Amino acid sequence: MLDPKLIETWIAAGLPCEHIAVAGDGHHFEAVIVSAEFEGMNRVKRQQRVYQIIKDKLDSGELHALSMRTLTPAEWAVAR
Amino acid sequence: MDVQKHIHETVTGNPIVLYMKGTPQFPQCGFSAKVIQMLKASGVTSLVTVNILEEPEVRQGIKEYANWPTIPQLYVNGEFVGGCDILTEMYASGELEKVLEPVVKAA
Repeated sequence: MLDPKLIETWIAAGLPCEHIAVAGDGHHFEAVIVSAEFEGMNRVKRQQRVYQIIKDKLDSGELHALSMRTLTPAEWAVAR
Repeated sequence: MDVQKHIHETVTGNPIVLYMKGTPQFPQCGFSAKVIQMLKASGVTSLVTVNILEEPEVRQGIKEYANWPTIPQLYVNGEFVGGCDILTEMYASGELEKVLEPVVKAA
């Protein structure tokens, strides 16, 4: 079983995050990722940025699926 | 045929293409099933689906084509729109219907 906290550390190691929270049941995970780097990027580009960090985990099958909400700090301030 | 070329011809030659696990009638993954439901709810009555479980070369190739490591993947008029999360957000905000509207009308 994969610990959601471990996924948080993977992502945070590759992307400066204002906020990151991953929840899941060990197989399917949901992440809320807030980063200033997302400014000016559309949703596809933001997720590609995150996928780039965890690509090897997805390729190896260690991580099957990660749902994502990708927000800029300003969007996060409105959404929270 | 080269798999990237094959994918390119599929997504540009059809208005709506969904790469998924299983078929619209029998989706084999919850994310694929959810996208099918959202497309139906957005008025889509005809679309091309590719069952990547039956096409191993496409399964790998499509990940490289869009630089996107997960399935499902939706293409409208040759353009990659997103995977399940993005489509869910777009569906909730009404954007998905807007993107699909010209294609649905033309069908």
